[in-house]
Amino acid sequence: MKKNPSNFEISEYSGLIKLLQIMKIGIFLILITVIQSFAVESYSQSALINLNMKQATIEDVLTQIENQSEFYFLYSPKIINIKKEVSIQVRDKTIEEILSELFTGSDVKYMIIDRQIVLSSELPVNAFRQQPRTREITGTIVDSKGETMTGVTIIVKGTTIGTITDINGNYSLIIPEDAKTLVFSFVGMKTHEINIEGKAIVNVIMEADLIGIEEVVAIGYGTMKRRDLIGSVSSIQGEALSEFPNATVTHALQGRTAGVVIQQTSGAPGSTPQIRIRGNISIKGSNDPLWVIDGFPVENANLLNITDIESIDVLKDASATAIYGSRGSNGVIIVTTKKARAGKTKVIYDGSFSVQTLRKKLDVLNAEEYMVFTNIQQLNDFGSAYFTQSDIDNAGDGTDWQDLIFQTALVQNHSLNISGGDQKTRYSLGGSYFNQEGIVKNTGYSRITMRSNIDHDINKWINVTMNTILSRVDNNVKDPEGSMRGGNFLHSAFAAPPSLAPYNDDGTYRQFYMDYPFINAGHVNPVAWVNEMSAKWYRNKAMSNLTLTLTPVKGLSVKSSLNVHNTEYRWDRYYSKKYPTIDGSAGIESRNILELTTNNIVTYHKSVEGHDFSIMAGSTYEQFRNTPFSVTGDGFIHDILENYDIGSATIIGIPSSSFSEWKILSFLGRINYSYKGKYLATVNFRTDGSSRYSEGNKWGYFPSGALAWRISDEDFMQQLSFISNMKFRFGYGITGSTAISPYSTVNLLTSESAVLDKQLIPGFDPRDTYPGDLKWETTEQTNVGLDLGLLKNRVQLVADYYVKNTRDLLNDVQLPSSSGYNSTIKNIGRIQNKGLEFQLDAFVLDKSLIWKISSNISFNRNKVVKLYDGQDITGTWYSLAWVGDYINLVREGEPLGVFYGYLEDGYDDNGRIKFKEVDGEIQRTIIGDPNPDFVYSFNSNLSYKNFTLSIFLQGVQGNDIFSFSVGTANCDYGFGLNPLSEVLYDHWTPQNTDAKYPAISMTNSYRVSDRFLYDGSYLRLKNVELAYSIPTNNIGVQWFNKAQIYVSGQDLLMFTKYPWYDPDVNTRGGSTSINQGIDHFSYPTTKGIMFGMRLEF
Amino acid sequence: MKKILFYIIISFSFIACEDILVEKPKMIATETFYTSADEIEAAIIPIYYQLQRGLRKNYHNIPESMVDYLYARGSYLPVHRFQGLDITNINRLSDIWIRIYRAIRDANLVIQNAPKSEQATKEEIDRFVAEARFLRAFCYFQLARTWGAVPLRTEHNMIDLAVPREPVNNLYDFIIDDLLFAEINLPDIPKMMGRPIKISAKALLTEVYLTIGNWAGARSKSYDIINSQMFSLVPVSKSDDFYNIFGPKINGSSEEVWYLKYNQDYGSEFACMGHHPSYPYLNGRGHWGHYTDSVKNKVISEWDPNDLRKAFNLYHYNGYILGSSTTMFLKKFIDMETTNNYAATDNPFYRYADVLLFFAEADCRINNGPTNDGVEKLNMVRRRAYGFNPNDPSPVDYVATDYDEDSFIDLVLKERGYETFYEGKRYFDLKRVGKFAEIIKDVHGVDINPSILLYAIPNHEIEYNEAIDETDQNPGY
Repeated sequence: MKKNPSNFEISEYSGLIKLLQIMKIGIFLILITVIQSFAVESYSQSALINLNMKQATIEDVLTQIENQSEFYFLYSPKIINIKKEVSIQVRDKTIEEILSELFTGSDVKYMIIDRQIVLSSELPVNAFRQQPRTREITGTIVDSKGETMTGVTIIVKGTTIGTITDINGNYSLIIPEDAKTLVFSFVGMKTHEINIEGKAIVNVIMEADLIGIEEVVAIGYGTMKRRDLIGSVSSIQGEALSEFPNATVTHALQGRTAGVVIQQTSGAPGSTPQIRIRGNISIKGSNDPLWVIDGFPVENANLLNITDIESIDVLKDASATAIYGSRGSNGVIIVTTKKARAGKTKVIYDGSFSVQTLRKKLDVLNAEEYMVFTNIQQLNDFGSAYFTQSDIDNAGDGTDWQDLIFQTALVQNHSLNISGGDQKTRYSLGGSYFNQEGIVKNTGYSRITMRSNIDHDINKWINVTMNTILSRVDNNVKDPEGSMRGGNFLHSAFAAPPSLAPYNDDGTYRQFYMDYPFINAGHVNPVAWVNEMSAKWYRNKAMSNLTLTLTPVKGLSVKSSLNVHNTEYRWDRYYSKKYPTIDGSAGIESRNILELTTNNIVTYHKSVEGHDFSIMAGSTYEQFRNTPFSVTGDGFIHDILENYDIGSATIIGIPSSSFSEWKILSFLGRINYSYKGKYLATVNFRTDGSSRYSEGNKWGYFPSGALAWRISDEDFMQQLSFISNMKFRFGYGITGSTAISPYSTVNLLTSESAVLDKQLIPGFDPRDTYPGDLKWETTEQTNVGLDLGLLKNRVQLVADYYVKNTRDLLNDVQLPSSSGYNSTIKNIGRIQNKGLEFQLDAFVLDKSLIWKISSNISFNRNKVVKLYDGQDITGTWYSLAWVGDYINLVREGEPLGVFYGYLEDGYDDNGRIKFKEVDGEIQRTIIGDPNPDFVYSFNSNLSYKNFTLSIFLQGVQGNDIFSFSVGTANCDYGFGLNPLSEVLYDHWTPQNTDAKYPAISMTNSYRVSDRFLYDGSYLRLKNVELAYSIPTNNIGVQWFNKAQIYVSGQDLLMFTKYPWYDPDVNTRGGSTSINQGIDHFSYPTTKGIMFGMRLEF
Repeated sequence: MKKILFYIIISFSFIACEDILVEKPKMIATETFYTSADEIEAAIIPIYYQLQRGLRKNYHNIPESMVDYLYARGSYLPVHRFQGLDITNINRLSDIWIRIYRAIRDANLVIQNAPKSEQATKEEIDRFVAEARFLRAFCYFQLARTWGAVPLRTEHNMIDLAVPREPVNNLYDFIIDDLLFAEINLPDIPKMMGRPIKISAKALLTEVYLTIGNWAGARSKSYDIINSQMFSLVPVSKSDDFYNIFGPKINGSSEEVWYLKYNQDYGSEFACMGHHPSYPYLNGRGHWGHYTDSVKNKVISEWDPNDLRKAFNLYHYNGYILGSSTTMFLKKFIDMETTNNYAATDNPFYRYADVLLFFAEADCRINNGPTNDGVEKLNMVRRRAYGFNPNDPSPVDYVATDYDEDSFIDLVLKERGYETFYEGKRYFDLKRVGKFAEIIKDVHGVDINPSILLYAIPNHEIEYNEAIDETDQNPGY
């Protein structure tokens, strides 16, 4: 926050504005508020300064004052003779007294605006004095949304006469009679020059300077101006995230920034999508990024309500993430919640309702067609038809099962945020309620969040903040994933026989196999499932942290904080007696997770003649403990008990409990250096000790460094005036991953009970994984980047190229199964990710019509470089009755998790599938790749007067999907499963040998083949929104600062070739999965229309 | 300077407690276990767990899909075609392989570590080692007769990456060695039903000897059991009396030699495949993967209805199903109180009836024809089945002079088929006697593909065992 005096021109107030912008906006607001609103002792009266300088220049004295205090000087060296030598010796004097002593006898005048001191020559002031005729000018300043603005600087152009608006946005200024122009400026806003001749009241609407590059970015244990950033960090503002309803922060991040790929694993309310930053780096360990909320690492940020988020910063390259050491390999997402701010009490209400519906209803056979289809199979396999012609003639359409399962769902979201405070104490409080019904009946997600942030100055140099978030989530789950032969409600919702009704004549649920002998006993009645199978969980999270910040000396800050994050979780399952074949079945799981973190961070900042140093050092300690407990019971006398009297069950399952704990102790440090903002360098170091690794391998060391060159500040670039900012960045660093779960290096025994004497007898045997002697997975990343701002930063481009090499990859090394162990873990293997990312932001128009576009695109190429002994690692074996095999493969030289299967080669003479020969025999080969070629998004924001139209497009290109959904639905014959209509109309017959589907027979033999492989590319209209700001001032509703209403639509359009519900699917995805790109009956996704409002008082 | 001071203070406050990074799991580690008799016993229990888990379903369902008296449907249909195993069933068998080898691992750990115990007595240690060796022998016997030559994992080569397929002869030598040790060191009476005693080792040895053609050994061991007077056939006067042997709650009947035990908390899963859910035998459950036909199936149609075992084992489906009006399902294993697809019924590996029939078979082999002694043992089983006192002559008795060696062996095989109906033993008996292809051709009219005589070595073994490659696979896979 230091200025370079020589750059400051008092005659052009842009320098002042720049300086103000550089400041952290929060502090600035506090300062001006103090001046304007509170009759308390001001800083200039309370700050006492000691000086003992002989033969020093004025400049030195001013610098010394700046170093000792929070004062800073604004002046022009052309007007003030700063090289003049003086001697000064004062003790515990106020600034007023010192300045008076310093400038006695010179023509220098000073004006103290709290911590800001403007020095000027006698001249303009004299001129003013010689012109005693003055007048008063007043006005109110609001922003483009009609909100009054506090702290706007108003200066008479060409003079030092100025003031700042009060907390109501009002100002009043005595100006020379002949003053012609007032200059209005504010951080982050465009500067306005208004002609005031003949005007006594000048109201101004400030417009956001949307082209700011001066935002502050969280970089891990500190913040930095984006301008000075060296690493690769993407920022997303909270407003963008809450544009349309999303259950979790992860959902809201999709498509928002380059390099971050988010895929849905399920459309179910409250499900967690898969998130990857710059690709998969680990086979065994988690690929999830580290989430950091307000400085503290957490598992995910799902406890937050999205409107409580002020901003999110995504740290991508190693020079940025290495400060998180062993946890930084997968990238870091820093979430900053809304912070306390001084000022008039501000109340903001956000509310929305939206209506969601199933995106796509599947076209399945009706009852008549179903009978025809079944007869084809029965004739093929048994030589006789099952249904008679009169059955078929009387069947009609039958039951539409999908209509019985799916519903139109309502989503509502309400949140209230209150903030305000005074010089000593600031607060921000929030409460919110989010409720999302599922489109499958009896499913849903709701969340209540309470948040408070209090910030108090105990005295001049001690500050305390307390931040607390309470979050309650209730989720009613029906998980349809991964079934076959109607084994779950979702498959059954279209595979159930349309010729049968859901209920028997006596009102009980129909079991299909009772009616049709060819139907599998496991084929569920979807209506029974949806009504009688309940599974729900709730989660209470409390995250609270207390931070003490000491600033004993200017530039030095010592920050010590403690965070407690407690999670209480309980999962309840109850299958009612009404469900056929179940006598009441209950399951309970509860767990407590306690995360404790302490951070102790010292930072020191020093600036000398253009050299700017900032040093940070500290230590952190983190502890995680999980203590789950579960029990089941079967056979209940009455459904009313549900799972709240498990002791009354006929059979009580073996209770299970366990304990898991890990700890990390870290020391970290960082040095930032910049010279005149042109040459920037940073060096980070962190060392982590983890409890999870073997003795001798516990400590990991994670250094990183980066350099940047702002070439646009070089003299030779000044000719190219269209380039307003151009910065080259280079970074390199090493990060790690605590990929293994606790206790992986100890050969522990787990309890297993066996039946002897008709009783369960407990015993202990080893786990299936043989322990290994393990160390860190290490990722080395090099990043080259370019920041380019053109035409006064109206067009901004950020481009990054990276290479990420992960070594010592923790791998399951398969052991022969005869060893009695599945596998052991070894640090063997290497993986590489490299890629390109581009982020483009542009103001196409910024007059009365404001049009902002923003777009990003990311390319990532993943390659498995080395595996243990060249051993392939196979994905999970899927054992479906109609096909059983694994699908994904990890192989040297290939991208992670490629699809490995057979290629089809038409049909034989009986309509059975033939497979192609590869190298002379029918064998497997790589048939597809779940990794996309690139992902992209496009955002357009068009504002005219009070209207704003936003469009958000998002897409993925070049990935394959292996669809078990299509296969299970359409290829399994003989069990009375109702397929999509196309199967009946396009299957193999002697007359139709080129059909899409083979002959309808239960003896078909399928393999994992290209038949089930689809292009997963898509482009969708993720959101379109029209918002209208009600001009509250004009309609006389003064107590409203702001009122905005909007209507929007989510996922209204989707362009894709994928035939199932949604190509944005990854059923088996997750933090560690190599089973990428599989669609196997994920809960279907929705489209929605939303109405909302935002009110501010 | 202040900064440095602060940093130093903070750092040291943590370095002082760096031992916080030592893991202290609330679990038991291998390295510190097996010290007391109680701990060794706790290490033996999981061997049963692995076996109960591994053999609870498909070790029964797949062999029973390859027999004369049944048909299979659904995913077991490919097995019943006798033309080789499809990938689904190969995979099911590979799960069994994994569980059996985990049981071997657990047994090896006991055999390796128990003798090091300082707190247990020599007798205790020997007894535990004998129990582990009995169970290990049981495991290798299952492996040898289903997969043939398999890797021999002992306490000396437990996690070696290269262990070749051990020739079957060597496997049997190893099994016999374990069992002879167990026969001496196991207790005389069981501590709990389901844990082996000396007699259990003799019963297993009997079947092992029969399998390798050591008739004298088989006769001698089975004779020991009969002579011990510890067992008797459970008397039966009506069909349902057989539930006094097979009922879900029966424990320690007079004919229980050695069973794999199950209960309502941890049930067996094979019963489920024999039932249709419209009947109450499994409390309205059943996947009816196995069925037979009272008219179309020769074994069933020729089964004397006066044999109480027939009505006990089978029930007609009331109506037309599976293309027939005479379809029958299987009710030897029932559990009317179950709340899931599992049944509390045991897997009766060795009953006294098995021992009697083994004796009859071995005795006939060694004497090149039936003796009165051998026929008497067969008759005991037969008399009980018709509701007579097993020890008194009855109208249904066979007479030795009516049979020669071959026809008597056929007779024992036939009787054993009725007696051990749906117990998962038929496939192994047919193979052991060498009549498999012949009988399947006779009943089902199908020429078997010989590959089904041995199952496929699982892929994960071939891929990760450095001493085995594709060329070592059993024929036909």
